[in-house]
Amino acid sequence: MFKSQNGVSLRTVQLVTAICVSLILIAPLVMLFVASLKTDRFEIMADMGSWRAFWVSTPSFDNFAEIMSFSGPYGFARYLVNSLIILVGTLGLGIIFCSMAGYVLARGSMRGRAALLAAVISLYIIPQESIMMPLLLIVTRMGLGDGFLAQILPWAANPIYIFIFYQFFSQIPIEIHEAATLDGTKPFQAWRYVYMPMSVPATATVAILMGIESWNQYLWPVLITQTSYARPISVAIAAIFGNDEIYWNYAMAASVTMMIPILIFYMLFQRWFVSSFISSAVKG
Amino acid sequence: MIAPAILLLLTFLVAPFLLSFWTAMTNQPLIPRPVPVQFVGFRNYERILTDDDFWQAVWNVVRFTLMVIPVQCGLALALAMLLNAALPFRNFFRGVMFLPQITSMVVVCVIWVTIYQYPSGPANQLVHILSFGLLDPVDWLAEPSVAMPALVVLSAWQAYGFQMIIYLAGLQSISEDLYDAAKLDGASPLRRFWHVTMPGLRPTHVLVLLVTTIQAFKLYTQVAILTQGGPRGTTDTIVHYIVEAGFARGRLGAAAAGSVILFVLVLFITLIQRRALRRYDV
Repeated sequence: MFKSQNGVSLRTVQLVTAICVSLILIAPLVMLFVASLKTDRFEIMADMGSWRAFWVSTPSFDNFAEIMSFSGPYGFARYLVNSLIILVGTLGLGIIFCSMAGYVLARGSMRGRAALLAAVISLYIIPQESIMMPLLLIVTRMGLGDGFLAQILPWAANPIYIFIFYQFFSQIPIEIHEAATLDGTKPFQAWRYVYMPMSVPATATVAILMGIESWNQYLWPVLITQTSYARPISVAIAAIFGNDEIYWNYAMAASVTMMIPILIFYMLFQRWFVSSFISSAVKG
Repeated sequence: MIAPAILLLLTFLVAPFLLSFWTAMTNQPLIPRPVPVQFVGFRNYERILTDDDFWQAVWNVVRFTLMVIPVQCGLALALAMLLNAALPFRNFFRGVMFLPQITSMVVVCVIWVTIYQYPSGPANQLVHILSFGLLDPVDWLAEPSVAMPALVVLSAWQAYGFQMIIYLAGLQSISEDLYDAAKLDGASPLRRFWHVTMPGLRPTHVLVLLVTTIQAFKLYTQVAILTQGGPRGTTDTIVHYIVEAGFARGRLGAAAAGSVILFVLVLFITLIQRRALRRYDV
């Protein structure tokens, strides 16, 4: 964008631009983290319009201690644990079921495999948002309402994740498959001991996409959870908006609490992130 | 081994999908009643298609889409070009710029309520500074004329990362030779952008445009949390309308009819996407 004969100065301009743009883009997140360390809810809102939104003179973790104790006005420890249970359950079942399905579609020996693959992939055009109400009927009739399974099972199999595994498994050289199955290895064992150990990138990709999706779910848990028994933290935070008086200090701390696990997750898997988003983007 | 996945897909995706067509033709209530469920034909569709609130919701979604596309995709393209340059610490910046994308929409709402705070939040401070104190503070989420644009800004901020990554992939597919040739011909950076970058990104533009449109049509969480469709219905959306009909008013039949209409709309956009992409050989 900048005309320059000198490569070094162009780089400096780009670097400065990148720093400024990054700061502006993450400013709202910085404001959130700073505000969560202030204990006076009136002060939080009063500070927002000035530079003090980015500064805290006496940082305190009292908000976090308060929302994590069950006795406080917002007992967030329970919701956090609920969200973690749902995350682990969805990821565990999801990765096993989707990779097994991907394996069969890529290397299975049954008839009609191509047709089945096409059928599974074509399901991706059904938007989640358009099946919510009948899904509610089905899940309630199955007796899964207001529980963890109701928030795990519906998302444990997904055409896109099956496709990611399918694609990865298809690219593994067929010679390896032949060598593995030559001495009568069962498909399950081939999947377990040959394919899965080789598929770290695919597993990481699915784990990232599924993890973020599960952690940030909102519409479905709102519809399905009636009590705090299995309610995730997203719904609990949104419920703050329904109160007449909003305790912003607790809302900020709860929001930061919700961000921290996914932030750790993101930093651990970041190097797979870009490619995984491209591969899922192309399929909508 | 494929059975668990197929069973789950059939139970939680195919069955509800097929059921939605049936439910849409009944007077199915949310809470079971002793009276048997009746077949009502196309009455639910009729009711929805003659409901001004539904058309208002459709119009709002179209309005949202038309506003969010230039904001979100423009930002995404600009950032992708910045990150595609030979920038030091490029991966670090990529990581940082992607942070809003992993932030839950619920948390995004908590943050932006304070930004839009009336009268002294950061958004109003910015208006004050940029207008040299001439413009009065605005109650962003409560003023009918600005509530939707306010949601557009917040949504674009949360979601630009996805489009940014697609553009990044698109930029990397343009051959370096074309830029070198243009440079040799003495083309300015602006001309290189218009005559090399933009044509090279044509298939990417189509993909980004349609992905963004589909996302926009599913607009819900921000609306449900921040405005509940208000003020005066100016931020009501199709998904919000469906949830209200089914959940708040207990009319699952009407909600299912709305869902079928949403599905047809999204399918339509998806088909355009596939056709367009096939033409570009992606």
